[in-house]
Amino acid sequence: MRSLFTKIILLLLSPLGLWAQTPPQIPPGGLIQLQVQQPPVEVSATLTATAVFDPPLVRAGEITFYRVTVDAPDSAIPWPEKVSAPAELKFGMNTHGQIMRLDGNKYRPFTAFVHEITAPTAGHFTITNFSLNISGQPVEIPAATLDVVATTANLPPVRRLVLDTSATNVFLGQPFRVRVMLPAGNNNEIEALREIQLNGDGLMTEKKAVRQAIEVTSVNGQLKPTFLCEMNVTAITTGRVRFSAQGFTAGREFSGPISISGQVSIPGGPPKYALLVSDALEIHVRPMPAESELPGYTGTIGKFFRDPPALSTNRIRVGEPVQLKVTFHGEGDLTRFVPPAPPRSRAWQIIADKPPSTGYTLIPQTDEVHETPAIPFSYFDPATAKYVDLTIPPLPVTVVGEGLPVQLPVFDDKSKSTVPLRLSNWAPTPGKTVRNLKPLQLRGWFVGVQLVPVIGFLALWQWDRRRRFWETHPDQLRRRQARRALRREKIALQKAVVAGDATAFVQHAVHALRIAVAPHYPANPQALVCADVLAQLNDAERNGQAGATARKIFAAMNAQFASTAQTQADWLALKPAVAELLHKLEEKL
Amino acid sequence: MRHFQFSISNFQFFRRRVGGLALWMFFLAVNFAGATPADNLFAQGIKAYQAGQFPEAATAFQKSAQTQPAVGTLVNLGLAEWQRGHAGTAILAWEKARWLDPFDLRAEGNLKFARAVAQVDEPPLKWFETASTWLPPNAWVWLAGTSLWLAVGTLVLPGIFRRRKADWQRMLAALALGIFLFSLTANFGVVSRAQIGLVVERNAALRLTPTQTAEVILTLTAGEPARKLRTRGNYFFIRTASAAGWIEQKSFGEIAR
Repeated sequence: MRSLFTKIILLLLSPLGLWAQTPPQIPPGGLIQLQVQQPPVEVSATLTATAVFDPPLVRAGEITFYRVTVDAPDSAIPWPEKVSAPAELKFGMNTHGQIMRLDGNKYRPFTAFVHEITAPTAGHFTITNFSLNISGQPVEIPAATLDVVATTANLPPVRRLVLDTSATNVFLGQPFRVRVMLPAGNNNEIEALREIQLNGDGLMTEKKAVRQAIEVTSVNGQLKPTFLCEMNVTAITTGRVRFSAQGFTAGREFSGPISISGQVSIPGGPPKYALLVSDALEIHVRPMPAESELPGYTGTIGKFFRDPPALSTNRIRVGEPVQLKVTFHGEGDLTRFVPPAPPRSRAWQIIADKPPSTGYTLIPQTDEVHETPAIPFSYFDPATAKYVDLTIPPLPVTVVGEGLPVQLPVFDDKSKSTVPLRLSNWAPTPGKTVRNLKPLQLRGWFVGVQLVPVIGFLALWQWDRRRRFWETHPDQLRRRQARRALRREKIALQKAVVAGDATAFVQHAVHALRIAVAPHYPANPQALVCADVLAQLNDAERNGQAGATARKIFAAMNAQFASTAQTQADWLALKPAVAELLHKLEEKL
Repeated sequence: MRHFQFSISNFQFFRRRVGGLALWMFFLAVNFAGATPADNLFAQGIKAYQAGQFPEAATAFQKSAQTQPAVGTLVNLGLAEWQRGHAGTAILAWEKARWLDPFDLRAEGNLKFARAVAQVDEPPLKWFETASTWLPPNAWVWLAGTSLWLAVGTLVLPGIFRRRKADWQRMLAALALGIFLFSLTANFGVVSRAQIGLVVERNAALRLTPTQTAEVILTLTAGEPARKLRTRGNYFFIRTASAAGWIEQKSFGEIAR
């Protein structure tokens, strides 16, 4: 018990012996000491200039270089377009360059101007001194002399750079390798090159893809240790492109990592900066065949292969990212490889990985997709001069929705909530159907349907009104009915004439005459006799043709059973007279 | 005699042929009458739903509902959309089912459940709109038409047919007139309710003007109710419980459509 108490006391007192760790304190201005001091640039010192012919002694017709160096920045020197020189000297190409050289503990700009000169005839030539105003300070360019001899056996060769390309017939945009070489000088001494650049239009040099090496290389048919600088160049214009290289010799000042193979000697002492140039090279740049370009071409030229694409998972939710890994291989340089651009898709959000990686992050926007989108890609193969399809194919994938809950948690007091605890089951049948969800109230045709009862009621009202009218005017109703009956009898009369049925003709004629006069009495037509018909005619008609016709018809009616066939034929002849009589009687209706 | 026998066999042959043809046509008619494209799509939707293929099920039910709106189809469409995580579209489908048949318990229950989960309110209704929910929208209009003409007929026809108006006829006319007047308000409610719709897309933007670059007034939740007031281009002018503004047509679904 006592030991337990002691342990508890010690445990409680133990925090008193602890303290927090403190970060290391940096004295004021300490961070400045971490910065690497750089030598300053000297621009205010007295400017000096040199001018020489390199080499000063050449054979007639050979090339020499007129070199002028000034301790000033290139941009500050107003170099004349034409240098005053003896007329015998023929000026060729000219160039200039600048390098920063370390002078003591300061950097000084050093600019060189180089003119290619040919002297076709032997002699002693001098380019006289001349003055330049550089940054407000007069600087004298000294005179330089050149001796040209007719024949000289042991003249050292002119020191030049050698330019070599991996291809002289390329397509627009096609990268190719260019090697700038500086062969070893006397005693196999190798010098480094700095500020190397290609002169000429229509080429783009990649500064980052430069390889420097010292190797034994064949130069002009001779194996020599050579400093070489290999760089990637891309043709950016079509046609014939001429270019040359220039660079400063820099002794043992190598400007980057370098691989050395073979036995070489590197000179000691301070470097002698000399701007060297190469002969010009010409390449032929052809345009790309635009008509056969395939989808997904990103400007990639070369020969490439693709590994099968791989998805990080093939079952994802909407909005969840999935990684698509695609690896490309190629023959030669891959620095100019442009991976396929992510296509636009409504169903997928596609994010390309940062170069040089060639993967993609895919995010499905809907669960209706069943495969990843195809990512079109093609490259141009300069060897076959054809586009090659390397499209990333779609991969099967299952995308599920975000998934909302289909069941609510059970609460203790169920009576408080009227919300069902889960969704219903699916309906086994479609159930009640309609043609359209738009209500009838908003449909035009339904208003038309409502007019049907209106029309029905109007028709009933009109019928009732007419009925009441006939009830108050019975004479008009009788005449109207007589006219209708008369029309029917006329039709029957005509049919009897056509059929040659004299008996029917007489019966219909008598009936028609009775109908025509019946409304005047008024009386049932069957009760009327010939005298009743005649009473409706005026005196002239009664004693004339009309009266005679009526009498004949009624007489024929009375005697029809006793009549002969010949007499019946005569009855039919009465048809025009009967028609005229009926017309007169109808007019009186 | 031979001619007679021939005629008999010919007749039997003809009868068999005609009978077979009639039977075939009957089955064809039954087949056509029984399996409409909407029914086939409904069956496809059921199969896909049972297999857990909710996007395919939703597509089939959607097409079936477009061909012939049906309560069961709309209930199933809502279920499929809910399983896909589309709360707005699911609520809209169930609202349509309830519009079609206010007595459908599945649609009503699902709507309550979905609104509780999605935390959205029911559309606020005025009194005559609430009254219009007691019957299907089309029932109200037929009720109004029938009651009106029944009242008119009961009052007018005895006079036309020279009959004396009986007491029961007067009572019937009064009752029909009363029903007509009440159904009139319900019909107004139906027309008014036809403007109601739902936001179907999540975080849909309610904008100040009907343009894509317009200022966003409010971001709407899927399933939130609103009334459509105007249309301009691809935008609807809607009024929600909290604000009014323009919304893209694809983000808004009308119930009565």
